[in-house]
Amino acid sequence: MFVGANSAAPIVAWTDAEKSKLFVNVLGTKNRQEFALAPGTVSVEIHAPHLVQSEPHFLVHSRTATGNRADVYHINLKTNVVEKAYDLPELAGPGAFSTSSDGANVYFTRITEDEMILLSSASHGVLGRWPLNTKNSKASAVHAVAEVVKKSSQANSFAVRAAAVTSADEWTLIRNGETAWSRPEGMSGAVAATFAEIPENEELVKSLEQEAHSNPLEAYIHRVKRHIDDLQHLPAYLNAIPSRLISSIMGTEVSAIDGKLSRDSFGFHKLAILATRRGMVYGLDVGNQGKILWSRRALKLSKGDSWDVTGIQAQELTGRVTILGSNGDRVVLEADTGKIVDAVAPGPEKSVQSSAIVDTVSGQQLLPVGVDGQIGDLPSDQTPRQTVVTRGSDGELKGVIFTANGSSSYETTSWVFTLPKDMRVVSVATRPAHEPIASIGRVLGDRTVKYKYLNPNTLVLAAVDDKAQTLSVYLLDTVTGQVLAGSKYDGVDTGKNIECAMSENWFVCSFFGQYTLRDDTAQSLKGYQIVVSDLYESDEPNNRGPLGDSTQYSALNPMENPEGPSLPSVVSQTYILNAPLSALKVTQTRQGISSRHVLAYLPELHGIVSLPRMILEPRRPVGRDPTPAEAEEGLMKYHPTIEIDPKTIITHERDVVGITKIITSPAIVESTSLVFAFGIDVFGTRVAPSFLFDILGKGFNKVTLVGTVVAITAGVLALKPLVLKKQINSLWKAPM
Amino acid sequence: MELQQLHLGITSHLQPTFNCQTPASLRCSVSQPQSTATPRLMSELQISPKAAPKWVTDLSNPPAYRSKNAGIPDPPGYPSSQTHSSKKKDAAKDAKPQRKAPTPEEMDTLKLKKAWEVALAPVKGLPMTGIMMYMSGNSLQIFSIMMVFMAFKNPIVGMLGTNQAFERFETETNRAKIIQVKLAYVAMQLLALALGIWKVNSMGLLPTTRSDWLAWETQREPLEYAVPAL
Repeated sequence: MFVGANSAAPIVAWTDAEKSKLFVNVLGTKNRQEFALAPGTVSVEIHAPHLVQSEPHFLVHSRTATGNRADVYHINLKTNVVEKAYDLPELAGPGAFSTSSDGANVYFTRITEDEMILLSSASHGVLGRWPLNTKNSKASAVHAVAEVVKKSSQANSFAVRAAAVTSADEWTLIRNGETAWSRPEGMSGAVAATFAEIPENEELVKSLEQEAHSNPLEAYIHRVKRHIDDLQHLPAYLNAIPSRLISSIMGTEVSAIDGKLSRDSFGFHKLAILATRRGMVYGLDVGNQGKILWSRRALKLSKGDSWDVTGIQAQELTGRVTILGSNGDRVVLEADTGKIVDAVAPGPEKSVQSSAIVDTVSGQQLLPVGVDGQIGDLPSDQTPRQTVVTRGSDGELKGVIFTANGSSSYETTSWVFTLPKDMRVVSVATRPAHEPIASIGRVLGDRTVKYKYLNPNTLVLAAVDDKAQTLSVYLLDTVTGQVLAGSKYDGVDTGKNIECAMSENWFVCSFFGQYTLRDDTAQSLKGYQIVVSDLYESDEPNNRGPLGDSTQYSALNPMENPEGPSLPSVVSQTYILNAPLSALKVTQTRQGISSRHVLAYLPELHGIVSLPRMILEPRRPVGRDPTPAEAEEGLMKYHPTIEIDPKTIITHERDVVGITKIITSPAIVESTSLVFAFGIDVFGTRVAPSFLFDILGKGFNKVTLVGTVVAITAGVLALKPLVLKKQINSLWKAPM
Repeated sequence: MELQQLHLGITSHLQPTFNCQTPASLRCSVSQPQSTATPRLMSELQISPKAAPKWVTDLSNPPAYRSKNAGIPDPPGYPSSQTHSSKKKDAAKDAKPQRKAPTPEEMDTLKLKKAWEVALAPVKGLPMTGIMMYMSGNSLQIFSIMMVFMAFKNPIVGMLGTNQAFERFETETNRAKIIQVKLAYVAMQLLALALGIWKVNSMGLLPTTRSDWLAWETQREPLEYAVPAL
C-alpha cells in the first residue's frame, strides 16, 4: 500500500482487509511491526518525506466515516525499529495531509474543514495555525500538496501554501489559510449536458395554461386582470429603461437586473446543465460567459468508478432537470438553483441501457430502457404512443411498440434490423426532437423545385466490417425497419473515428479512407473523408414522388399501395478533408430558415470547426463550371478537397482539448444557434450560420438616427407657424 | 316729298354702315340718338314702338365689312353679309369652289374617320415602347420599374376613359359604328397591356413556375412516429 519514505530507512506498509491493523516493514530487515488502527477506519494514507537528509518520520492518516486522525511514527535508524511518536486528534471531515521537507526538518501540514495547521514531525507542538477562509465554498480539502517556508525574519514563524483538491472537485491554492485561487477542475470529466431555460415565474406558467383551456371571453378577462396585476412591476421597468437605452447605444450587453437570472429577448440567456463522471452536476449561465451558478454532488462514487449517464432531460414547464444513470439511479434537480428535488439511489448492477423522451398520455416522460432493449410492462398512462427503437443483445436494432392490456401495456417487437455477421455498429445518427423545416423543396436556378424527402422517422446507421475494412451506411425507417438507402465504402480504416450526423433531408458521415480508384487512372486516395448525401422525393424536379400531393402517409402500408412508403432518391458526394473530425453536430435554429452548418471537433487542431452547407453540397457540378442557373443557386464547381478555413474555426485561438460531444440549441432569434461542447474542456458560444440578419449590429448608428429624427421634428415645429402666416398673407393679396 | 326729306335726313346722319331697306324699319333707326335728330325725325322716331338696344341689333346683324383692300379675301367661316359681301366675294374668288355646308351623312363619315384614327393611335406607340422595354433590361432597376409602371398605367387609364375619348365623335346616327371603333380601341389598349405583362414575365415577376407556389404546399404528415432510445 505504501512504499517509500526517505532512502535512509525506506519502508513498506500495508493494512489488513478490515483496516484494523497496520503492518510496517523497514526495507532490508526481516521483521514486521504491527500497529493498531482506530476502529471504524475507512481508508488509510501514509505520507512521508523523500529527501535523503530528512528525518525518517512518517505519518499515517486514517479516515473514518465522519472524521480523520493521524499518527506520526519515527524510525530508529540504528535499530530499524518503528515507534509511534505522537498522534493527532480526530477532527471532522475528510482532512488532507501533506509532507514537506526543508533540509532535515520534516513538516506536516494538516488542512481540515476550518483550519490549516502546521506541525513538525519531531513533536506535536503546533508550529502554525491559520483559520481557513474558503470564500463560502463548503467543500473541504481531500488531497493536498504543501510547501512550507520558514520566515527568517521572526523565529518560529512559517508561511505555508498548499494546493488542495476539495470534495467539490475544485482545485484551490490556500496560502496561510486564505484561498488565493480556485479552479473548477471537476468539470473536466463531463459525460452529459443539456440546455435548460431559465424557469419563469411559476404563476405565469400556470395562468397561461389556465387561459389556454377556457373559452375566449373568460381567457380575455383573465388576461386583462393579469395585466392590471402586472402594473405593479411598472416602476421597476421604467427604472431599467435608461440603463437599457445606454447599453443599446453603447453596444454593450444588457446584464442581469439585480443579479437575478432572467430571460432576455434574444433567447441567449439560458442555462447549461453539465453532469460529470465523478458524480458532480454543474449549472452554467450561458448568457454570462459560462459562469458557474451552482454545483452539486449528485452521486457519491467510489474511487475509479465513473457515472454512466444514460439520459438527461430538461423540462421547460417545471424548470427541472432529470438525469438517469445506468445503474437505475435517477436525480431530479431544479435548473436554476441545483437543489435536488428527487433522487433514487443506484442499484448494484447495470440495469438501464439508454433512455428516450416519449410522448405519453400524461405528457412527455423520460423512459428508461433496460439491458438488451427490454422495457417491460408500463402503466397505461405512461405508455409511449410511438415506436421506441432500442439496441438488442447482439447489437441489432429493434423497434418496440406497446399494446394495451387492461390498465397496463406490454411491449412487442415490431421490427428487427440485424447486421450481417461480421459487422458491428460504430455510429448512429438521429434527428433532434424538434426540427422545423422552412421549405419542403429546393428551388433550382431555373425555378423548378426539387422536393426534399422529409421523413422524420429515420436514422442513419454506420456499421463496419473489420476484416474487409468496409463501411456500410444505412438509412433506416424507424417505424418499419426498412432500409431506405444504403451505401458501402471500401478501404475504410475501421480503427479510426467514424461519425455521422443528420438533419432535415441530408446526412453526413466522416471516416478515414484509403483506396485505389476504380477507373482506369490507377490513382489512389488516402485521407480523412466526409460523405454528404441529400435525399429527394424523385430524380427529376417538380415531381413529388409516387405519393404525389397526399397530405398523409403511413410507412406501414405495402409498397404497391400508392399511400405506402416511397424510397428517396439519393444524391451523394465525397470530399477529402485535411484534418480528422469527430463529434459531428448540425446547428439548429428556431424556424429552420438559416442555413445549417455542420459543427465538428478537430482533435489534431484542438478546435471546433463550422463547415458551411454550401461547401458540403452533393449537387456541385463535377468537371465543369456551374451554369448561370446553378450559379444563381449558389453551387460552386466541385473540388475534391475541403481545406479547413481557419476563419470557420469557431474556437478562434483557444485550445479546446478532448471534446466528446457537441450540443446545439435554438435561440429566440432565427439567425443564431447556441453551441455547447464538452469532454475534457468545456466550450460554449453562439454561431450565426447566415450571419446576423435579424439583429442590429454594433455599427448601426442609433445616435445619428435619433438625432436626425429629433432635428427634423424641431425644424417642422419651428417652421410651421411661418408657413401658415405666409399662406394666409398670400390669400389676402390681390391677384397680379 | 316729306318722306324723301326724311330719308335724306336720316341717311346723312346715319353711318354708312347701315343698310336699311325700309326706312321705317325700327332696327335701322336704332343707332340714331334721339337728341341729334330733327324734331320731325324725333317725332317719327318716337311714334315707333319701343326700340331694341343698340347692342341687340349689333349682335343680330353684324355690320357688313367694306374692305379697303378688295384683293384680300375673307377667311373661311367669316360671317359675311348676305347681299353686299357675297356679291363682292363672288366677284373676287371665282376660282375657289364654293364651300357648301356638309350634309349630315358626310359629317358622320368624317367623324368616323377621326374616331378610327384615335382608336388606332396606341398601336402606333407600341414599337417604341417595345424597344424601350428591351433596352431597360431584365433586372429590377428603378428605370425598368418606372417603364413597367408606365406600360401598365397608360393602357388602363386609356381603357377607363374610352367613352371620354370618343365623346366628340358621337352622334345619334353613327352610334353603332362608334361602338365598333370603341371595341377596336379597347383591343389596342389590351395589346399594349399585353406588352407590359410580357415584360413583367421576362423580369421573372409572374408566379408561373412551381417554385412560386411552393410556400403553399405542405409537408406530408406521417401517421406513425418513432423515437430512438439508443
